[in-house]
Amino acid sequence: MNGVSDVVDVVVIGTGAGGAPVLARLAAAGLSVVALEAGREWRPADQWATDERSQHELFWKHERLSAGENPLAFGNNNSGTGVGGSTLHYTAYVPRAQPDDFALQRGFGVGVDWPLGYADLERYYDEVEHFLGVSGPTPYPWGPARSQGYPLPPLPANAAAQLMKSACDQLGYRSSPAPNAALSAPRRQPGGAANYRPACSNRGFCQAGCSTGAKASMDVTYLPLARHHGARIEPNSFVTHFELTAGRISAVIYRQGNRELRQACRAVFLCAGAIETPRLLLRTGLANSSGQVGRNFMAHCGMQLWGQFEEATRPFKGIPGGWISEDTHRPRGADFAGGYLLQSIGVMPVTYAAQLARGPSLWGPALLRHMERYNHVAGINICGDCLPHPDNRLELSDEVDALGLPKPRIFFTQGENERRMTAHAEDVMRQLWEAVGARDVWTLNRNAHLMGTCRMGSDPSSSVVDAAGCSHDLPNLWISDHSTFPSALSVNPVLTLCALALRSADHFLERLH
Amino acid sequence: MQHPLELYPTGSVRALLDTDQVSPATRKALQRRLNEPAVHTPKFLTPPQFATLQLVAFRLIPQIEVDMAGPLDARLADNEGDGWRFSALPPDREAHRCVLQLLSEAQFCSLSAAEQDGLLTDLQHGRLTGPAWLRGPEYFQELLAELSEIYFSHPLAQERIGYVGMADTPGWERIGLNQREEREPGERGE
Repeated sequence: MNGVSDVVDVVVIGTGAGGAPVLARLAAAGLSVVALEAGREWRPADQWATDERSQHELFWKHERLSAGENPLAFGNNNSGTGVGGSTLHYTAYVPRAQPDDFALQRGFGVGVDWPLGYADLERYYDEVEHFLGVSGPTPYPWGPARSQGYPLPPLPANAAAQLMKSACDQLGYRSSPAPNAALSAPRRQPGGAANYRPACSNRGFCQAGCSTGAKASMDVTYLPLARHHGARIEPNSFVTHFELTAGRISAVIYRQGNRELRQACRAVFLCAGAIETPRLLLRTGLANSSGQVGRNFMAHCGMQLWGQFEEATRPFKGIPGGWISEDTHRPRGADFAGGYLLQSIGVMPVTYAAQLARGPSLWGPALLRHMERYNHVAGINICGDCLPHPDNRLELSDEVDALGLPKPRIFFTQGENERRMTAHAEDVMRQLWEAVGARDVWTLNRNAHLMGTCRMGSDPSSSVVDAAGCSHDLPNLWISDHSTFPSALSVNPVLTLCALALRSADHFLERLH
Repeated sequence: MQHPLELYPTGSVRALLDTDQVSPATRKALQRRLNEPAVHTPKFLTPPQFATLQLVAFRLIPQIEVDMAGPLDARLADNEGDGWRFSALPPDREAHRCVLQLLSEAQFCSLSAAEQDGLLTDLQHGRLTGPAWLRGPEYFQELLAELSEIYFSHPLAQERIGYVGMADTPGWERIGLNQREEREPGERGE
């Protein structure tokens, strides 16, 4: 081992939506911080092609084993790598959670409540929306009144968004342009780094990497801010274990190519996501006196419904998730707990073809004839809550990866609540799409976003971290990623994750004093 | 062989590749794929397994413009994955080798088209005799998804479906229903 360097205040492991805001916040407070990122650093404008297959480089390639009755697709579905983490290929759909999302147990007697609520996150939501440059409607039609509107007006509506609006109008659902973390007008980043970001050019390529910087991935938002304040980011650095001294983490050991390196530190923020975070903790046996590490893995109900239209839709253009309705947040007469949002979706051709293979599995001439109508395709999908279940979990398998470390095996089975919600949503989506003339309708019953596995709570016997994100077992280990989500919420996770990360960093700073 | 798809004119993507509407990184990636010669000698599969894969690919995605078996064999040779697999399936190399060997031993290449499709239908619905993991839909879906990704990421396939999203350096302004920009091909008769 070599490279024993100075002690830093904090090592942040991972530079996605959980790690990047922490890194920026702690650096701005004057702490010495180093981020260890497993992926490489990119120059998107020069290196990223508008080509789905080339962009596979953005996906986490260490193999994961997917088990259970509804095994999840990882890789391009939800797992990123690179400086910026999965935000490099997220769709930037950023609605806020609603207050009742945090209290499913109180509302329905199922699931668990968060040890914090909307009121604790509200000012952070404001801050993150302003900093990322969210484009969205003001006022926003759902949820509590807000002290400030979105900083930018909505992005233009593409064909799928227009169809969803028309369908919702006909069937009496309120709908609206969605809040998207992509710029509808150019601007410089606030806060000191002042890097320039252009307006979205409607490339529609969010899920395969934004090469212009219009989309608010971490590499053009919180990471430049962190560097502006003196943070160091080490790409290609995969953390393997920790050194402990007197019950505290004293150093982080990581691999950089063939070298094993060591970074001494006073504290660690583990921000590697809902798979790699518990995988590292299970491997090292740390922070698991509750036995909850790896448990309660959740993934949103994410059924997609696709149709073909008489009109041309050319679904590769525009922000993919352009339209929203939250009228199904708590549907009247529903036979399930919680609810979901509705979202219009555009799609790139290779992704669409792969989804088709996993859905109706058309092949032969039928596949080619279907794909010839690609320019007439539009979709609608949901993001719906998912109850925690201890059997939905991550474990270490007995297969090893290229680094000689056990591959994770992830079990996921939709429970009765998820099945009922999905059935309700399929019915609603089918009505909507048929109202605007969809033909050849097909569905893909999928689950999206990775949450849980290191949940937060006030009771150390049933949770891994406290409400601030600090481990119940190790006083200088903090977790900031969606592994800490006690329940899934009925919205896409990134905005809440960034808000939670800033809150966690503020609590960390408070406890220093 | 006549290509089954004729809704759009051919040549659209190739013509755009030489323009400044395509970024250098995009041009490089697509040009390389266009220039990639079809593979005749597999690097991972045995020649009979590879010949079987070529024909399986053709039955699933009936066209001969784009080599689909070659890129799959190359991926297996490099032992590259896409970041996950169904836990029910063995590792990719083992799974593909096993199924292609089974089909090869069933003389897949000598069967009639209808018999080939019959075997593939059996594979799709878990009726092929073999290891237990073949009783689920996973392997077939994975195979079809990968071949689809290989085919539809090829510029020639993208011409067939009228997709020119790679020509995006000017951005897109006409993004609504029934809107297209000049550089987007119309359908025949449009």
